[in-house]
Amino acid sequence: MSVVETVLVFAGIPLAITLILAVGVFGRSATHQPNRYRPGRPWTFAPAWYVPHPDALAHTESPRVAIEGSTTPTAAIGGASGEW
Amino acid sequence: MSGETATGSQLQHGPMGAQRPGSPFNSRQLTRLDEALTLSSKESGLTFSVYVGELDAPTRGHAETLFERLADSSVLLAVSPGQRVLHIVTGSESAKRLPNRACALAALAMRAAFVTGDLTGGIVIGLRMLADAAGNA
Repeated sequence: MSVVETVLVFAGIPLAITLILAVGVFGRSATHQPNRYRPGRPWTFAPAWYVPHPDALAHTESPRVAIEGSTTPTAAIGGASGEW
Repeated sequence: MSGETATGSQLQHGPMGAQRPGSPFNSRQLTRLDEALTLSSKESGLTFSVYVGELDAPTRGHAETLFERLADSSVLLAVSPGQRVLHIVTGSESAKRLPNRACALAALAMRAAFVTGDLTGGIVIGLRMLADAAGNA
């Protein structure tokens, strides 16, 4: 075997197999959901505040107005907390 | 549909179409989130809102400061995936319908989903449990 053949067989083939396996394992999640949350990884996204669609709130004012132009502060009464 | 608030956070309802590079959720996840928010608010008559992002320490205090901008009948779910902490805040109206015990149960279910990395699922299940506990308007 020449030098080129040796390199191809002993380096090229293992590398090709590794690449195929890596694409099979990580490829789908990398293209499908690049922003997926993984516990323990830092969170780099800007804060976002999601509010219900105004049509769902027939009897009350949309919180969008309240959040953007805060008027009188509302006291927080209760709730719960958790960590993971 | 989005606007900047005083805290610099993005305010939005409903999916924003295609996934933007700066959004932690893709359009399908945003649709689920919007559905859960809208349905639970409609069913219970309480105004649910979800904040996802960094909270300043002490995180509970920051969540309550955010809640001050909302109405008495609101429920705020504040989730900080980076700090691995979540807070549910109720006001004087919503606390009558949602005792702290119900909130703690919802927080527990959300925790269980967040541990596995399912951010959308955790928020959706939390909203459903809170809406169920509050009952119909």
